[in-house]
Amino acid sequence: MVLRLTGMQKRFGGVQALVKGDLEVRRGEVHLLLGENGAGKSTLMKIAAGMIRPDGGEMVWQGGRVSFRNPAEAQRAGIAMVHQESLLAPHLTVAENVWLGREPASRWGVLRRGEVESATRRLIEEHGFPLQPEWRVERLGPAGRQLVEICRALAHQANLLIFDEPTSALSDRESSEVLRIVQDLKLRGLAVIYITHRMSELREVGDRATVLRDGSTVFSAPMQEAGDDELIRHMAGRQAEGVFTRTPLPPGKEMLRVEGLSRRGVLEDINFSVRAGEIVGIAGLMGSGRTELCRALFGAEAADSGTILVDGRPVQIDTPRKAVEAGIALAPEDRQSHGLAAGRPVGENITLASLDRFSPGGVIALGRERAETGLIANRLRLKASSLDQEAGKLSGGNQQKAVIAKWVMRGARVFLFDEPSRGIDIGAKREVFELMDELARQGAAVLMVSSEMQELTGIADRILVMKDGRIATELPRHASQEQILRAATMGVTV
Amino acid sequence: MLQRILPFLTLIALAAALALATPHFLTGMNLASLFRQTAVINIMALGVTLVIVAGGIDLSVGSMMALASLLGCMAMERGSGIAAGILIGVAAGAAFGLANGVIITRMKLNPFIVTLGALGIYRGLALMISGGVPVHGLPKEFSYLGEGAVAGIPFVLILLAVCACAVHFLLARTRMGRYAFAIGSNPGAAYYAGIPVAFHTSAIYAVCGLMTGLAGMVESSRLMTGQPTSGQGYELQAIAAVVIGGGSLRGGEGSAAGTLVGAMIMGLLSNGSDLLGISPYLQQAIIGAVIILAVFLDELRKRRMGAAA
Repeated sequence: MVLRLTGMQKRFGGVQALVKGDLEVRRGEVHLLLGENGAGKSTLMKIAAGMIRPDGGEMVWQGGRVSFRNPAEAQRAGIAMVHQESLLAPHLTVAENVWLGREPASRWGVLRRGEVESATRRLIEEHGFPLQPEWRVERLGPAGRQLVEICRALAHQANLLIFDEPTSALSDRESSEVLRIVQDLKLRGLAVIYITHRMSELREVGDRATVLRDGSTVFSAPMQEAGDDELIRHMAGRQAEGVFTRTPLPPGKEMLRVEGLSRRGVLEDINFSVRAGEIVGIAGLMGSGRTELCRALFGAEAADSGTILVDGRPVQIDTPRKAVEAGIALAPEDRQSHGLAAGRPVGENITLASLDRFSPGGVIALGRERAETGLIANRLRLKASSLDQEAGKLSGGNQQKAVIAKWVMRGARVFLFDEPSRGIDIGAKREVFELMDELARQGAAVLMVSSEMQELTGIADRILVMKDGRIATELPRHASQEQILRAATMGVTV
Repeated sequence: MLQRILPFLTLIALAAALALATPHFLTGMNLASLFRQTAVINIMALGVTLVIVAGGIDLSVGSMMALASLLGCMAMERGSGIAAGILIGVAAGAAFGLANGVIITRMKLNPFIVTLGALGIYRGLALMISGGVPVHGLPKEFSYLGEGAVAGIPFVLILLAVCACAVHFLLARTRMGRYAFAIGSNPGAAYYAGIPVAFHTSAIYAVCGLMTGLAGMVESSRLMTGQPTSGQGYELQAIAAVVIGGGSLRGGEGSAAGTLVGAMIMGLLSNGSDLLGISPYLQQAIIGAVIILAVFLDELRKRRMGAAA
């Protein structure tokens, strides 16, 4: 036993990310850490790597109780994390990045460049990495950057390496290279913790698995004793909270039709349609193309090929402006950077997409603007101290309502929601879902991307499951969470 | 709230202090010359306010002013008439501003870099077409623009008031102004709302250029020459006026009234130092310190707001 975490707790604001995180890792094993998005896997690992400090719980490392105050302490103790988003300095070389912060230098602070390069070269050759010490990191793709991070960890003499979804951004060939390296590290006697969503990888590398759900460890066993079904059941058995269950309508005419939509390396031959009055859910793991599909439909990252039809008419969408003109609205996942002008009043945000209507000749009719904005804000039950309140000071739920109000004001007919409940507390989530239902009842077509399965099963009339940039399968309303997870991880039609 | 009107209170306190400290301050002559001196920077700063609200910056306005007014003066020297000459200067400014905006938005370059380059280009062109020699021989009546008075009120003061009202109206009441705030506050959200961001950003740089051209013609009228070397360092004074008046270099904040107050504070500091016999060398240091202090106070306000939210 090299690492034992017991009863780890961590709270972020109003969210209890970890309730009771337990984990035991042995020397020379690849330990899989499984769970849905938001189950607490990354939080638990960030605690182990010294990136965040727990509120409670005990951590034992190589036989002694420890509590790391920062990542440097964890690294000195021999724990290193290979990050999903690379934390490297892109303008420096591979060798410089590997030794960053611990450069061999003379007494006067002059770098021994030769030593840096030769030490890196030895490391690369020993492990057979396809890298050169003098390459600049900015030229490397995500796979290469991960190898540099691994080198860095090895150069730090790490005894435990933590991989956070290392293959989510990699091609199949690159993924198998990473898996080979993980196997190799294990054979050299290191312990590896491996976070993943891909079921196919599990059997290949994993020795033991631990499943987290809603911030607690619910299952731990050697891989030989754990079946796929059992693992999925433990991951998905999530208790619904504040869920809204919608009664579907008889759908109206086709409002959105997508034919053969593709974007190189991201989306492949996407076909589906959404009718007026319908809410269609999109499920899929991170990197499956869910968000990219929303962005392509909204023109933020336009598709290379394929046809989009709104209300029966083909539309060319290569900028958000074209999408807005075609009647498409996007409530983005990241409201702060793409949804709202946070420093400006709520009222101004609500009319931002339809100002033309209030300003014939360029001068805004402030009275009329205010009156109509007030009406919509009331209709959506948007709570603000006044329409002049800064949008950024609203609660998450009311910010989302302000985004919706902006598109209702514009008269959008097709609504794309990317993770509509992200950053919103439970009571407000329900209200947002009720609004989505209301939009559909008034004849809008609603497309909703979510990684919260119980939200999808509660609200969507049917669910498209994406995997590797394609729609893997379509599931009916009230599909079980297990069915969705199975389709998303293995791409199997149930 | 207190900190929003802080620049205004500072201005009043500064004026009161100067009135008490020296009898030469509150004289009609001194005030008229104070307004005339600050009007040029003030008009320019109003234009720069728009650019800064929209999240941009224009470092080229000083040399743009020289080139635009030089063109206007050369036209007058060749007998174009006063009105046509002024119009040419103003139009040239608008064209240069538009050029800045188009390059920034279409080539997707950092406005700091583009306008830093433009600063050199406009100055170089001004020196080249004039051969480095000032343009003389302007019609006598042209001096009215900078030195005339209506019922005892300096004409430039009226001009400044008109410009300030126009910029205030633009920011508070028009679509362009609303978009400027939205683009400056969050360009991503503006783009995602379907706003033609590039078009409006370019237009805002053009309006800034227009006001810079006008400021240049006022300066020429006061000097009665077209100077290829005029306006050096004015860009920094204009930016300082905007920032002292509550504008944010991160965009999304700024107002015509604030900029007026900011420019007046700088004018008073310089005028007051002259009256009190403070060395002009020290003046520069004082103004520099005031800029840092103003931005610091503004940062404090924002940090407090951030903590409250």
